[in-house]
Amino acid sequence: MHCPDPETVPDDATLARRVEQAAPGTDPGAEAELYRRLAPRVRLYGLRHLRNEAAAADLMQQVMLLLIERLRTGALREPERLASFVFGICRMTVLELRRGQARRERLLAAYGEALLPPDAPAPDFDRERLAHCLERLPERERTVLLLTFYDDMPAAALARELNVSPANLRVIRHRGLQRLRICVSGETR
Amino acid sequence: MSAPACPSPLSWEILLGYWLGELDPEDQARTEEHYLGCAGCSHRLEQLASLAQEVRKLVQQSGVSMVVDEPFVRRLADDGLRVREYRVARNGAVNCTVAPGDDIVVAHLEAPLDEVQRVDLVTVGGAAGSEMRQEDVPFLAGSGGVIFSPNIGMLRALPATTLRMRLLAVDNGRERTLGEYTFNHTPWPPGE
Repeated sequence: MHCPDPETVPDDATLARRVEQAAPGTDPGAEAELYRRLAPRVRLYGLRHLRNEAAAADLMQQVMLLLIERLRTGALREPERLASFVFGICRMTVLELRRGQARRERLLAAYGEALLPPDAPAPDFDRERLAHCLERLPERERTVLLLTFYDDMPAAALARELNVSPANLRVIRHRGLQRLRICVSGETR
Repeated sequence: MSAPACPSPLSWEILLGYWLGELDPEDQARTEEHYLGCAGCSHRLEQLASLAQEVRKLVQQSGVSMVVDEPFVRRLADDGLRVREYRVARNGAVNCTVAPGDDIVVAHLEAPLDEVQRVDLVTVGGAAGSEMRQEDVPFLAGSGGVIFSPNIGMLRALPATTLRMRLLAVDNGRERTLGEYTFNHTPWPPGE
């Protein structure tokens, strides 16, 4: 695995500090790099909580706009705690998203289209290979993975449906996922 | 420019449990705070989310053969997919096809499964009469059968042909036939 040199690659906290220190001006390079790093993570948070690609993109845009706004005003006192800060904004924004759209419209009016959400990343495997890898799995593992991922179904619910214990289902799921990941990534063991 | 690697990566079990909503609130919050600040773990979570999404699309396109259960078939239909179902009695036969608008084809193979420990599914077909055995397929003892859904692309490519399936009970190293099923397949007429 490539291990970047911490001396030459700024961490997230350093970038956040650069954004804060640039105020009242801006550091577009640091803002863009923070956005590039954090926006996909916030999108995942949105997908997990909202289970909808469009809603996750909305959340990502709002969180990133709020984050940059707050960094510019020096609201983050400890840049080392950036992840907690982003987490707090994510939680609050999910609640707000469920309450209404007013703040989003105000922020969009203030910042316009300057920070457009990036497209969802393409998977690093093709569907044909995934189908091939699924076909190679033992039947139980394939069934468990297909039923799990089709509905994002937790182990307890699927175990009830298939009349197996949750522990047994987790073992089958774990083995299947491991084999599938290795197969789609082309790794050998 | 790349971000530093994670010194204490979240396990795949944690990431999957998180994605499926299995973690308690404290572990969920810890996981979220971690990956929001971590390039490596958020990348792996992204891989997992992509995998889940692509598997979902494959199921919706019937791009993979699968043994499933009755509630799953109902969910597919509830989601608006057009499911063509055939119920085949034990040692029975059925005339079957796949229409252009079908999303998924499902065969209910009826068989007595009480007291059975393991079920294998054998498919015999093609010009060479080749035999494919799927070992230890999932089943519910009281369900009265096994539900199989073939890859619809392969089904569409078939000429008029007869396919046979056989369910075998495998108990303590011995096997016995639970049922045989004949599918007289006809391609959907062109232009209809």
